[in-house]
Amino acid sequence: MKKAYLSIALSLGAIVSTFAQDIVLKGDALFGGLQARHIGPALMSGRIIDLETHPTNDKVLYVGTAGGGVWKSSNGGSSFVPIFDEHTQCIGQIALDPSNPDKNIWVGTGEIWTRNSVSVGDGLYKSTDGGVNFKKVGFENSERISSIEINPNNSQEMYVGVLGALWGDSEERGVFKSSDGGATWEKILYIDQKTGCGDVILDPNDPNTLYASMWEFRRTGWSFESGGNNSALYKSTDAGKTWNKIHNGFPAGKLGRIAVAVAPSDSKRIYAVLETEKDKDKGLYRSDDAGASWELLNGDFGLVVRPFYFSRIVVDPKNPDVVIKGGLFGSISRDGGKTFRNLGNMHADIHDFAFNINNSDQMFAGTDGGVYRSWDGGNTMEIVANLPVSQFYHISVDNEEPYNIYGGLQDNGSWYGPSQSPGGIEARDWNVVGVGDGFRVLRHPTKRILYSEMQGADNVWRYDMDKNQTKTIQPLPVKGDPKLRFNWNAPMAISDHQPDRFYMGSQFLHKSEDMGNTWEIISPDLTTNDKSKQQQENSGGLSKDNSGAENHCTIFTIAESPVDQNVIWVGTDDGNVQVTQDGGKTWTNTTPNISGLPANTWVYHIEASVHGKGTAYAVFDGHTSNDKTPYAYKTTDFGQTWTSIISEDVYGFVRSIQEDYESENLLFLGTEFGLYATIDGGKNWSRFNKGIPPVAVHFLDLQKQTNDLVLGTHGRGIIIVDDISPMRQLSQEVLAKNFHFLETKPTIIQESGGFGGTATEREFVGRNRSSAAKIMYYMKKRHIFGKMSLEIQDMDGNTLTEISPSKSKGINIVTWSYNIRPPRMAKGKTFSFGGFTPARVPAGTYKVVLTKGKETFETTIELINDPKSDRTEADRMTLHKQTMDIYNTCEDLAYMVYELDEIVAKAEEVSKNGGSKTAKPVISELTALKETLVITTGDNYVGSAEPQLREKLATLYSKIAQGFDPANASELENLALLTERFDKAKADFAKIKSKRVAKMEKFMAGKSMEPVKLKTREEYLKDQ
Amino acid sequence: MRKLKITFMVGAIMAMAFTTTQAQDVDEIISTYLENIGGVDALKSLKGMKITAKVNQGGMEIPLDIYQMADGRQMTSISFQGMTIKQGVFDGETLWGTNFQTMKAEKSDSEATSNQKLDANDFPDALIDYKEKGYTAELLGKEDMDGSETFKVKLVKEPRMIDGVEVDDITYYYFDTEAFIPLAQESEINQGPQKGSIQQIKFSDYQEVDGLYFPFSMTQGIKDGMSQPIIIDAIELNPEVADADFAFPEE
Repeated sequence: MKKAYLSIALSLGAIVSTFAQDIVLKGDALFGGLQARHIGPALMSGRIIDLETHPTNDKVLYVGTAGGGVWKSSNGGSSFVPIFDEHTQCIGQIALDPSNPDKNIWVGTGEIWTRNSVSVGDGLYKSTDGGVNFKKVGFENSERISSIEINPNNSQEMYVGVLGALWGDSEERGVFKSSDGGATWEKILYIDQKTGCGDVILDPNDPNTLYASMWEFRRTGWSFESGGNNSALYKSTDAGKTWNKIHNGFPAGKLGRIAVAVAPSDSKRIYAVLETEKDKDKGLYRSDDAGASWELLNGDFGLVVRPFYFSRIVVDPKNPDVVIKGGLFGSISRDGGKTFRNLGNMHADIHDFAFNINNSDQMFAGTDGGVYRSWDGGNTMEIVANLPVSQFYHISVDNEEPYNIYGGLQDNGSWYGPSQSPGGIEARDWNVVGVGDGFRVLRHPTKRILYSEMQGADNVWRYDMDKNQTKTIQPLPVKGDPKLRFNWNAPMAISDHQPDRFYMGSQFLHKSEDMGNTWEIISPDLTTNDKSKQQQENSGGLSKDNSGAENHCTIFTIAESPVDQNVIWVGTDDGNVQVTQDGGKTWTNTTPNISGLPANTWVYHIEASVHGKGTAYAVFDGHTSNDKTPYAYKTTDFGQTWTSIISEDVYGFVRSIQEDYESENLLFLGTEFGLYATIDGGKNWSRFNKGIPPVAVHFLDLQKQTNDLVLGTHGRGIIIVDDISPMRQLSQEVLAKNFHFLETKPTIIQESGGFGGTATEREFVGRNRSSAAKIMYYMKKRHIFGKMSLEIQDMDGNTLTEISPSKSKGINIVTWSYNIRPPRMAKGKTFSFGGFTPARVPAGTYKVVLTKGKETFETTIELINDPKSDRTEADRMTLHKQTMDIYNTCEDLAYMVYELDEIVAKAEEVSKNGGSKTAKPVISELTALKETLVITTGDNYVGSAEPQLREKLATLYSKIAQGFDPANASELENLALLTERFDKAKADFAKIKSKRVAKMEKFMAGKSMEPVKLKTREEYLKDQ
Repeated sequence: MRKLKITFMVGAIMAMAFTTTQAQDVDEIISTYLENIGGVDALKSLKGMKITAKVNQGGMEIPLDIYQMADGRQMTSISFQGMTIKQGVFDGETLWGTNFQTMKAEKSDSEATSNQKLDANDFPDALIDYKEKGYTAELLGKEDMDGSETFKVKLVKEPRMIDGVEVDDITYYYFDTEAFIPLAQESEINQGPQKGSIQQIKFSDYQEVDGLYFPFSMTQGIKDGMSQPIIIDAIELNPEVADADFAFPEE
């Protein structure tokens, strides 16, 4: 007994101590009903890595993208749906099990076209249900999987080619084999920590024969090296037990990336494209004896261009002489590789192809700008317009209503588009404001002017959005300046204090006070200026590749404090966080004050805080030094001390951070694997997965008026989380409650609408923000049992409408489109479509009553009129009165027709019971009257009868109720006409009742028949 | 009724206490669920149900009467402006609905009708006697559903014909790990322009009706996309119906 008492006391103690701790919500439990919306754009789409067809069903096509996941088409490439949204979006290879292609789908993650901006993968995934669910099966550290080959006769036997880490040594490379369907793996071809497998190919006609191209390669933040003595093409004829180089006919010396393909219709025919030491040896080699000997056929530009980016050869499944090679434009040969011509016009930089299995004239191409289809052998290409996989490097927002989003895309220029648009955000809404690769686009704070740029600040444009005029304004070296080093993604910044001020960063900070017309350098070289990292002309390895993408020792981020314009932060790609407190006269490198951060880690973004002039956040990205650790720090003392604000919850390196303007503890983090949020200043982070896949989030911005969090993703375009303000309210006090209404801003009654969009059926259309009023609450637990309902009432407690409440744990959001139900309409033969229009309530305060089991919770919400509208208060009152008057008239008519129908029904009964003499006139006169009140014949379409009073009233009601202006003169005259007609009908009805019906009732009384039983008007309306 | 509910809740919690100590298998989850909502015998003795519900579309409240019968007959009748339109009506042989333009009945295509016949054995719950029906169920693991921990169960029913091709009929259930009732159900859309997307239905407001428990609130939509709630006002068990209600009206 005593023992029991003790144990109870102990457990009570445990409970008490648990209570003393902070309540921590993680994941969905925190975000609840918040839901992101994707707005594309899709018109320029994004980089495609891999295309995979189904072996027997030509309607099925899979697309693996650089940063936007896996998409599946079931209609021959007409439209696509994403099927890999719970995993990393960076794809290397997709494979279908030839024995079970509808069920077993493999996805190898990690882009294999290793440009500077590639993301990373995190393993091999398998679906056994046609792509509904995927599970990771291993290769955690593979970073890039280039090939997945499955024995067509034995699903258990498969090979995986791992290209491996791009920025560092790794042993998880080479060719791997599984004999148990992927449960266990054996490394069967491995060279060294720097050499990965570019391709492993299974001879489709002999599963014991394999080809593997091995590639020695390495990238750093400032260089790229392709090729070495370890690059080679291997062959195995014993299912991977032994491998031999097959170089008979290849030049001696170092090799680079080797593209290889076996003709599906002729196993002896092999194509390989070699990157070699000498230019004369580069090109397409062909073997007609299964690799025993090779002959160089063609060294055209289209074949040898940028092997790290374009090493895919695809052979027509039916004809071994038809071969396509990826490249700047894509090349096709119809003579076995002797000669090539370019494919039809499409977006440049073509990475992969797929032929229709049944008709080789139909093909698909994957480019830097989406998937293209061709029906004529690649002559004419047409883009798939519903793949929103655009890759933003950066985004920003303005303060217009609706606000616009600006940003630049990988190989797809610079753009801006609206956060909402009639009918949804679609292709026509986007405006191009820069060419080449696009990066940062910033809107002038007060003028209709924006700044945009292309790679390496080769051009920086000032663009007048109204006049459509462009001026180039980038800072150029002047006398005495060294060479200016601009990053590929060169930083620019504007000022909260001086609207015309504009900053750019090379190794120096450049400032202009006149929108870029004149420039002044206001810093010394803020980088490490490490000369060994500035040898870009030697970059590329066997194929020189000095595109500017590897420019290093540059400024990457600039932030002027919103609190004090003399405080400016600068972060460099070689790890310096510099700050000035005097507008650039003196600078302090605060990096030595950051603990736990490896030297020279890329400063990806600095956010100067609104919460204090010495407060800033800095995030660091070490992935180009092979360090994928997340780093985020905060300072409140101008960088004298930095505190890490990362927790173990964060997976993936960090590229951006956004603070909330109101709650200092609310922060958002853009990582390589999605969006994270914290409500406790970084002690705990949760990944936001409500509609946001683990996509690389390159930049975040918070729109000040709407509190919308806008994500610039590198693979899924722009994603918006509308109104994050409820997250500000999740204090410990709120979290401790079972139920709590969160405050909402007054809702503006939207007066604008328009006629919708112009998108065709197969174009992507981004969702709009809901214009409805929001009711938000927090629940500690999900509601499962018992009734939970929500009513909107006027302030007198009259119910206006019932809404289905959301029941999630965490934040719940319910919307009300500030309408009450449409009027009850009289029953007719057909519908009165105008009568489906709900009536809008006027601006004001409304009660929200939520009932959860026995408990009732109440709050109020406020509707306000659009302050920008020029409509007067008096007009609005008039409109509301007119709307409700006709609304009530419609219901009066409905009740009258009900009464009439009931009397006719009774009259028919009387008629059958010997009272036909008194009943017949009732029936005939009332029927005649009814025919003037509602349609009693015809259908709902072109078989429609002539509209009667109900239809005419409803049409007029609908016009007035949907509008925002009081009824016009014509409408008022029409109303008078209808009112007069209704008055006459009422009089006629009264007359028939007093004469014919009264007579019938007398007869009924004499026969002791039940009189007509009518519901009251109120009962009738309620029951409808 | 309130007493019953409390007993049920306590029962659910007790079940949790007993079962979470050991690994779950799919049959335990399904049998606990069926027990929790009233027991297999009571469920099997049901002859039909009438669900009175409403959906709200752009401010317009649409009342629905949904009939589901043990023999596979079903009907949704929608009331607009005093008129009734029937949708998804199945009399055992013919699947039909009212055309909104002509207000006349029209038959569904033969593939949809044959697929409808396959569901005749799923009243009131596809999980009852699933093995006897030749279905398979598999526990895929635990997954978070809107912040609640759930068991994800995959149910494979009879294959269906879609555009002339036989495809598996798969439903994923998300059972709350404490209460052992489904919080959501998902399936892949296998036809039309949304093919390949995931349809999701979320359940809540479980309430008791004559000893059986039903969700009185459902929200249906595309996963991570727009959704439409349906509010259930009443559920009547074993309603009186006439054959004529389900029959295709021959003119």
